[in-house]
Amino acid sequence: MQLMDLIRYKYKTISVVGMAKNAGKTVTLNRLLEEAAEKNVIVGLTSIGRDGEKQDVVTNTEKPTIYVMENTIIATTEDCLSRSDARLEILEVTDYATAMGRVVICRVKSGGLIEIAGPDTNSEIREVAIKMRFYGAEVVLIDGAINRKTTASPSITEATILATGAVISRDIDRVVEETAHQINLFNIPAVEDEDMKSLVASLMEDKGYCIIDQKGNVKVLDIKTAINNGMNIGRALTEDSVYVVLKGSLVTKTLEDIMTVTEAYKNVTFVLKDATKIFIEPKDWRFFMKRGFKIKVLEKINALLTTLNPYAPQGYQFDPKDFCKRMKKNLTLPVIDVMLEEEDLDE
Amino acid sequence: MAMEKVDLTKIKPYGDTLNDGMTQLSFTLPVPYGEEAKEAARKLVLKMGLQEPSIVEAKDLGIGYTYFVVYGKCQHTVDYSNIQVSKVEVDTMEKEEVEEYIESNIGRDIVIIGACTGTDAHTVGIDAIMNMKGFHGHYGLERYNGVEAYNLGSQVLNEELVAKAIELKADAILVSQIVTQKDVHIPNLTQLIELLEAEGIRDKMVVVCGGPRLSHELAKELGYDAGFSTGNYAEDVASFIVEEMVKRKLV
Repeated sequence: MQLMDLIRYKYKTISVVGMAKNAGKTVTLNRLLEEAAEKNVIVGLTSIGRDGEKQDVVTNTEKPTIYVMENTIIATTEDCLSRSDARLEILEVTDYATAMGRVVICRVKSGGLIEIAGPDTNSEIREVAIKMRFYGAEVVLIDGAINRKTTASPSITEATILATGAVISRDIDRVVEETAHQINLFNIPAVEDEDMKSLVASLMEDKGYCIIDQKGNVKVLDIKTAINNGMNIGRALTEDSVYVVLKGSLVTKTLEDIMTVTEAYKNVTFVLKDATKIFIEPKDWRFFMKRGFKIKVLEKINALLTTLNPYAPQGYQFDPKDFCKRMKKNLTLPVIDVMLEEEDLDE
Repeated sequence: MAMEKVDLTKIKPYGDTLNDGMTQLSFTLPVPYGEEAKEAARKLVLKMGLQEPSIVEAKDLGIGYTYFVVYGKCQHTVDYSNIQVSKVEVDTMEKEEVEEYIESNIGRDIVIIGACTGTDAHTVGIDAIMNMKGFHGHYGLERYNGVEAYNLGSQVLNEELVAKAIELKADAILVSQIVTQKDVHIPNLTQLIELLEAEGIRDKMVVVCGGPRLSHELAKELGYDAGFSTGNYAEDVASFIVEEMVKRKLV
């Protein structure tokens, strides 16, 4: 199975996000770079964290390096430039400052190892991705950092790949559960009714937080965040309420607080911008779903596949085949262990 | 002077004489006190690569544990002349200069909130930076004119911190992480950034982390604007924040 086939001609920006540090983002990234080189796809490459360094700054374990081919476009910081051995042509020095210097956009003149560290924030990442496309990248790959997943937001990247692995827990069932939960969140469907969707989108943009009733009346909530405002949201719900529009994040306590003041939440659909706004653990999520909460998004995340790393830097490992089998049984997405041979995706 | 003889490309520990490699270790083994325990400790230190290990202290901790202090000679060297560490690049101003900088470049009071987040109850770091009385002769941010400093204390949930930042329209957030066993500080620190992104306010504020196991390099990966470690004072942090605010046009 070629991962690039899932991407090319369909999506222009792809994020690779991880469930944790050492879940295998770099290995996945290298696979994509390799395939792109075979198919002559010019790739743009950057990272919201950092990647390609030989040693992990937290665990001091060895990390896979990153080799880029000629013509690849990269966005990395000044500090990283001096540590890379690929020959690079500097195309633009941007204003985006990071803890490791300014972000510089380069074209690779002759292949070699590089370290990448791009802008720190999602909005800057989006702008740098546009710049790299301008300089000729057909597909832009955004490497994630540690367990940060908000680059998967459709407002930042068009599709996403999730890296998961044994590092999450010694208990394989917990690894499967947490990964399945993340995939479930990514797959939360969008509001179907097109008219309602555009109404919600404009309300979210202009008002932030509001409630829509059966007749289409809109009650604007005078809050700046849903955090600590669960009771206010709950009290504003009536029997006629249909949609609750929430611009920012959704955390466990907000839903708990809503439950304590009203039963009306069972009749409404909560609409979020996208699934990266959700900060709820698997157990709590199951509880809320059982109690009848309905949650949808404006923009569904295009989760393409999950990659597995059966090895943990803490020094234990799962049987790669067994791990892969369990994951496939429990995930609604294609699963691949990029170090195992092909068998997996094709079955 | 001893300094003249030091070869910076090959440095090793100093004990009684230059380059003797003398190193002191302390650790506990889960075995009862006795000659066998001492031998086990000695063998372990040999395996670590230290030569001529000598057990200078062995104490019975009761219930089958023994505590050791061991000396040994380190054989390795480090090339000091070739070391690169990324540090926060900031022209540190004195308290009065920061106050003046705020008045002339920002023109309003700035709001800084700080907390020890997650399970961490150790406020020594955040207090050193924020408390009025300060630390080591360096006054904390609460004493600065032009700074509204809010120290939320310990074990603050990330979502509480974000809610407070929104309520107070914070210009900067300081997070302190002292407790780092099993690297709990890592997901805790990234979660704050993710919440700020989800709320759409990450770009509107300066976010800084600090603690003994945080570095400026790690801060980048975590998504923070800067990471301060030991040896920094309120004026270092304040200087970074105000200069960053002006640089990013957050005034």
